[in-house]
Amino acid sequence: MSESNQPPRDELADRLMDQALRETLGGETPPDLSDRILAAVEEKPRPSNQRKERAMNRSRFWMKAGFGAVAACLMVGFTIAMLMPAVESTRDSARRDNMGQAAGEIGAAESQVPRSAGRNPRPDTDESRYPTSHELVETETEVTPAPGDAPARPPSSDAKPPVRPGVPPPLDPQMKVELHDIGTPIAPRGDMLDEAGEGWMEESGVASAPGKGEAMWHDDAEGVGPGRGGDQYNHLVDNPFKAVVDHPLSTFSIDVDTASYANVRRFLLSENRLPPTDAVRVEELINYFDYDYAPPTDETPFASHIEVAECPWRAKHRLVRIGLKGRVIPDDERPASNLVFLLDVSGSMDSPDKLPLLKEGMKMLARRMREQDRVAIVVYAGSEGLVLPSTPGSEREQIIEALDRLQAGGSTNGGAGIELAYRIAQESFLEEGVNRVLLCTDGDFNVGTTSTGDLVRNVEQKATAGVFLSVLGFGRGNLNDSMMEEISNKGNGNYAYIDSKREARKVLIDQLGGTLVTIAKDVKVQVEFNPRQVAGYRLIGYANRLLAPEDFNDDTKDAGEIGAGHTVTALYEIVPAGEEVATPDVDPLKYQPSGGSTAGLPSSAGSPDPSDLPEEEETGDSPSPPQAGEGSVMDELLTVKLRYKQPDEDTSSKLEFPLVDAGQRFGQTDDDFQFAAAVAAFGMLLRDSKYKGDATYDAVLEIAESAAGNDPHGYRAELIEMVRRAKALTQ
Amino acid sequence: MADLVRTHQAGVWRYLRFLGCDAGEADDFTQETFLVVLRDGFEQRSKAQTAAYLRTVARNRLLMSRRRRKCRPAEVDLEAAEAVWAEVAGDDGLDGYLAALAECLQSAIAPRARQALELQYRERASRAAIAAELDLAVEGVKTLLRRARDALRQCVERKIGR
Repeated sequence: MSESNQPPRDELADRLMDQALRETLGGETPPDLSDRILAAVEEKPRPSNQRKERAMNRSRFWMKAGFGAVAACLMVGFTIAMLMPAVESTRDSARRDNMGQAAGEIGAAESQVPRSAGRNPRPDTDESRYPTSHELVETETEVTPAPGDAPARPPSSDAKPPVRPGVPPPLDPQMKVELHDIGTPIAPRGDMLDEAGEGWMEESGVASAPGKGEAMWHDDAEGVGPGRGGDQYNHLVDNPFKAVVDHPLSTFSIDVDTASYANVRRFLLSENRLPPTDAVRVEELINYFDYDYAPPTDETPFASHIEVAECPWRAKHRLVRIGLKGRVIPDDERPASNLVFLLDVSGSMDSPDKLPLLKEGMKMLARRMREQDRVAIVVYAGSEGLVLPSTPGSEREQIIEALDRLQAGGSTNGGAGIELAYRIAQESFLEEGVNRVLLCTDGDFNVGTTSTGDLVRNVEQKATAGVFLSVLGFGRGNLNDSMMEEISNKGNGNYAYIDSKREARKVLIDQLGGTLVTIAKDVKVQVEFNPRQVAGYRLIGYANRLLAPEDFNDDTKDAGEIGAGHTVTALYEIVPAGEEVATPDVDPLKYQPSGGSTAGLPSSAGSPDPSDLPEEEETGDSPSPPQAGEGSVMDELLTVKLRYKQPDEDTSSKLEFPLVDAGQRFGQTDDDFQFAAAVAAFGMLLRDSKYKGDATYDAVLEIAESAAGNDPHGYRAELIEMVRRAKALTQ
Repeated sequence: MADLVRTHQAGVWRYLRFLGCDAGEADDFTQETFLVVLRDGFEQRSKAQTAAYLRTVARNRLLMSRRRRKCRPAEVDLEAAEAVWAEVAGDDGLDGYLAALAECLQSAIAPRARQALELQYRERASRAAIAAELDLAVEGVKTLLRRARDALRQCVERKIGR
């Protein structure tokens, strides 16, 4: 099919290039028509009055027809009710007359009734939906929908998709012919779009009017459990301020996920509403953006960039940024990849923002596969099935054809799918390469293993064998965000949310190396604060990534992974020594010696006077406690310690970086520092955090706009748009 | 409302130019497209869905106008054009494509080819004028320009993952 379209496709692609060159070289630019359009909207008499009239006439007609039908039904019902006693009486007498007839006659009479007359043939269950993996591999058959599901799905990928709210109607293939032959104005789909396209919104449910669109766009942001409606988020509590005298160490696992950002964007820009606070993970908002950190120049898998400046939302506080940049691996040096696409094709994926988008994303990735890479496709719905055995990446057409054949339907046995996908990955295991299962789902597992705990244990066990798991979340309405984040963490992978082809491109093309190639695993950060400089601190975000201080040196404790070229940023709000720390109020301890350290228990006294501090502080595994007279050490604000393991090793290495506060003002920092701070403040505002200080949407806008810097993909501009939308929604 | 216009107007305008409208027509049809959409209280969905819907309305306005003027609808097969736009230009109104093109102009073609393109698009020079400037035959200019555009197309589509 694609071959027959080749000449016009090329011509049109060339036409597109011509358009782009006119703009890039010729200086042609789209005009700003905003004022003109908005003025016209205000001024233009609403021609839809006539349309409304027509619509009202139609309504009146249907109301009349409805009333007529109801009246007719009532009359028929009344008549039947009146006649019923007579009918019953006749039946009774007939029954009495026939009482003496032989049983054989009755049986004979029954046997004359067609067997199917009183029964609906029951559609096959989902178990028959997918042949066994053996059958699929040998016969290369398509995934066949169950008979009972057929009406709910398009018959093939080439068929017209069902009309969905929010999705424009597809072009009618006959459109051009009709234009020549028919003398009346036509629309792309006459049944869905009226003469100017206006009617489509109403009829397809794009507008907020209730109708058939409601089922798709129901307003259920937060669900209640597996298999039940609504998106599911774990409850998140913002990290509180901690007093350094009580908690000199802060330990957490890195997080390179970006799903929360894409999900928040979906709420704000697509659904025009504020996200639920638990959907906002501030660290994922910050880490969505690439920052211009220099990559490592030696064998270390990542470089660190640590900086401190004035905190923009609380002037007396300081803001510390810890930035990590993973080693960049050029695409042509990317190790061979053994990938298993584990695709959810259950009924809940039958939505334009799920399976079709999933297929597009996977096709993008398939086109980037090389001869040395391998791709297998496992699908699951009511049961699991192997759609494509492990295939060399050079056979792209075969991979893409397999993706094109996928259709959605049935329940969701995700647990069984994961088992099969790991088995296929193990069978094609590459000793020197990347072995990864890419799970693409809305996470609505409702058959088989549905408990998050069981799934997590299963994935954790498989990850130890060298096959990692990444999760790509799709869709809304029943997005199981919490489960997907957790299994990707335990599967040594990352979790991204795909809400558009653009996002698919970002995750699967622009950041392919980071998505596929892990350069360090179990990356932990521990910050030791110097009580002479710091009274208290608060880690912004990473609320569900905190570790105990002793976990830092414990190599059995799992932590996050960093991919090739990934950037990771963490921010600490610092309360300088001498300032009050807003720690929770706790009664004074009764049995502790006065003046002694009560490490592990919160101080009720707030900030200590630095002069009262002992000469030596117990600081965990700090190599050299600060000594009086060691000027440089005593001047340090903090020391950042990092632990990581090579992807194929079980023993960690440690790096240490001290930081001295030179009193830098916020305005003296670079764009990246300022932009990350603006994103953090935005996240706190969306969460309505009690730690947001003086942050306002206007302040965030001011900082983000001035610090957008080089923004080739428009991601930072998009954040600014999100801030504006959130501000409008809040007002 | 203003956000909708601000976000999508450039994409709609470029799309109409791609479909064969001149700049003035593209202005008018862009305005009409948004008027049609806004006057009925459009509720924005995802950026991609909104962009695709606006393209459908814009295309429809163009078709109706062409038909009213009793001319052939367009020299472009609109269905195929939409498919190519959706596939290559994506949902960002050509922004990603243009960004990739800016990079490819520096890396994917020889300086001589870039000069020829600049003369054609920036200076509006005829092929004969370009031939004279570059000391080439007119046919050679045609070949040079075609190859340069092909190389740019491949480079851009590779960069944006098509």
